[in-house]
Amino acid sequence: MNSPAIRLHGVTKTFGEKVAVRDLDLEVPPGSIYGLIGPNGAGKTTALRIILDIIGGDSGSVEVLGSRNITDMRSRIGYLPEERGLYQKMSVADHLAFFGQLKGLRRKAAMARALKGLEVMGLAERAKDKVETLSKGMAQKVQLLGVILHEPDLLVLDEPFSGLDPLNVDLFKRLILERQRGGATVLFSTHMIEDAERLCERVCMIARATKVLDGRLRDLKAAAGRRDVAIAFEGGNDFLDAPHLVDRVAEHGGYVEVRLAERADPQELLRRAIDYGAQISRFELVEPSLREIFIEKATAVGISHEDESEDEAAA
Amino acid sequence: MKPFTPKMLAVARREFAQRVKSKWFLLTTLGAPLLIVALMGLSVFIALENATGAADSRAVIGVADRSGLIGDLVVEELLADSLQAARASELDDLSLSEAGERLSSVSYEMLLAIPSAAGRRAAEMEAREIALPTGEEAGDRTTLFSRDNVPTITEGTISSALRRASVRARLLSLGIQEIDTDALLLRTRFDVVNVTESGEARSQDLYRVVSFVVAFVFYMVLIIYGQMIVRAVLEEKQSDIVEVMVSSLRPWEMMLGKILGVGAVGLAQLAIWAVIVGGVAVFGVTAGSATLARANIDIASLGIPWGAVTLVPFFLMLGYLLYAGMFAGAGATISNEHDAQQALIPITMLIVIPFILIQGVIQNPNAGWAVIVSLVPFFSPLVMTSRLFIAAVPLWQWSLALALLAVSVLLSAWLAGRIYRVGVLMKGQRATLPQVVRWIRHG
Repeated sequence: MNSPAIRLHGVTKTFGEKVAVRDLDLEVPPGSIYGLIGPNGAGKTTALRIILDIIGGDSGSVEVLGSRNITDMRSRIGYLPEERGLYQKMSVADHLAFFGQLKGLRRKAAMARALKGLEVMGLAERAKDKVETLSKGMAQKVQLLGVILHEPDLLVLDEPFSGLDPLNVDLFKRLILERQRGGATVLFSTHMIEDAERLCERVCMIARATKVLDGRLRDLKAAAGRRDVAIAFEGGNDFLDAPHLVDRVAEHGGYVEVRLAERADPQELLRRAIDYGAQISRFELVEPSLREIFIEKATAVGISHEDESEDEAAA
Repeated sequence: MKPFTPKMLAVARREFAQRVKSKWFLLTTLGAPLLIVALMGLSVFIALENATGAADSRAVIGVADRSGLIGDLVVEELLADSLQAARASELDDLSLSEAGERLSSVSYEMLLAIPSAAGRRAAEMEAREIALPTGEEAGDRTTLFSRDNVPTITEGTISSALRRASVRARLLSLGIQEIDTDALLLRTRFDVVNVTESGEARSQDLYRVVSFVVAFVFYMVLIIYGQMIVRAVLEEKQSDIVEVMVSSLRPWEMMLGKILGVGAVGLAQLAIWAVIVGGVAVFGVTAGSATLARANIDIASLGIPWGAVTLVPFFLMLGYLLYAGMFAGAGATISNEHDAQQALIPITMLIVIPFILIQGVIQNPNAGWAVIVSLVPFFSPLVMTSRLFIAAVPLWQWSLALALLAVSVLLSAWLAGRIYRVGVLMKGQRATLPQVVRWIRHG
């Protein structure tokens, strides 16, 4: 199974005048955990829907699990959409068994797995209750369980962590990584770049329907070079007001992340800080964060920071 | 393309189980027969109340007769029918318009004014040309002036009293004195019995009723279960579950699953009703066999039209599938209950039209227009089944109707499937007609 789990080539999708996805190439290696990142409205959901054959692309080719006939692969895919609903009047176990059947499991097998899954989640005693009686957190667990019940080879998750409480975020991450260790490929979208940075081996960044970055996280960071300095200090930040040394500053609460200007010497910045009387408690050359890389790339292809600010507000 | 995939059946089973378990199902399944019994009881009560109400009428009818030939006899006959009546000879000489004006100043609640020409025509076998009194036109008719609304049944009683008075007056003019006019005017009744080719006899009146009842049940089934399909589609869209569905099975599997699931609910409900009706009928026949024997009705010789009984289920199934597809497609173009009414009107109209025509079809099931209407796929489920019960429908007609219906079912399923595929993911605004046409063309 060396063919990619997902391969998109030149996929474009427009809705009326609006281009949702432009000429997208994407290759997700089997067994990897892949993040599709970008601000809201960038085209992530549309890309995922095309991969799942929920909507058709206008042009380009799509191959999933080595096949162009995605319909035949559906039982091997688990999909968690951004908008998640459940039938309120069904019992929890019946509902999960129904999801299992939709993925090709036989009725009895689906029910057995549903009950087992509920036990693992600590929801065994709620199996016969109606979905509408569940708390929001419990319903979220049931939704995730419905996606992994049939042990899919490919997990496609649209904003899997949005709206979750912290405990469920951890649970979701654990279960997703468990599936991946079991051999499954995971593709998930998120507008929270930090989520992707923590979980993914590879990322693909989309902004304004266009791919701006794609590859192994490690490679991306290496390519960006060690031109960032994390500085924790007390006192005024006037010393950062030096265009010949500092290209950009990102505040991170306890510290700032400084992108050095072209050919600037970090030592010079340190000297300047001390000259200005700042009390330095940390001065470290770091790999740029994914967020920094994204902003740099997005700016380079002419996409303003406005797209990003939306993202920060949401974060 | 195999239509009965396990996934589709899972959808159908879920739809069926959810609906049969709901309170709605219990309520309508048991409530509808009760409601029908209650309505029938109420209409019988109203009929009885009307009949006695008219007889008890205290309103006094004054009778003014300008011809002077028939007035006394009319009063006698009115009294014989337990109405209050008196001869108003003081008003005899008034013209119709004057009589009407005087009603407010006399003590009668109603005034029956008989113009002289009308009285003459009623009382004489050969009405001669006469000079009309002043203020009277040749065409003036006997008129009942009333201060209040005249109940239909009172109107009927007065009319028959007039007729009897007229007969008696004519007989008197021929020299026949006393006679039982009721016996003379007794209506002769007759039954119509249709004899089939195999020599079976069947009562036309009975099967007119059966034919209407079948059409009514079809009408209700199509309307109620059509709406239910729309709700099932809307539920899916509103609960945000549709995306999981669409990513797991083909849109037509989902649509067909819903249609079959809801259809199975309908079948279950009809079956329960059939058992109830059957039970009541058996009980009624057993209990009332003495009455039936007296009325000379032999149950065994009702002449059940097995041809119609066999074909009805096919028309019902195909008719349901035709309309279910249309309803499902329409349901996919909307996102909320509010838009539903508007989007469904065209389809509902297609069901209402044949139901309105049914009255006419039952009166003359072999009229040219009735034959044509019964072949049209949208109408044949109601109209052809009705005709099958009351007319000798030729083989080519019902088989053509079935064939056309079957083709339409496939066509509607194909169209609905294409609309469904795009529409089911759409939210917000109702789709416009040009949009829907685009969906159909590009899938």
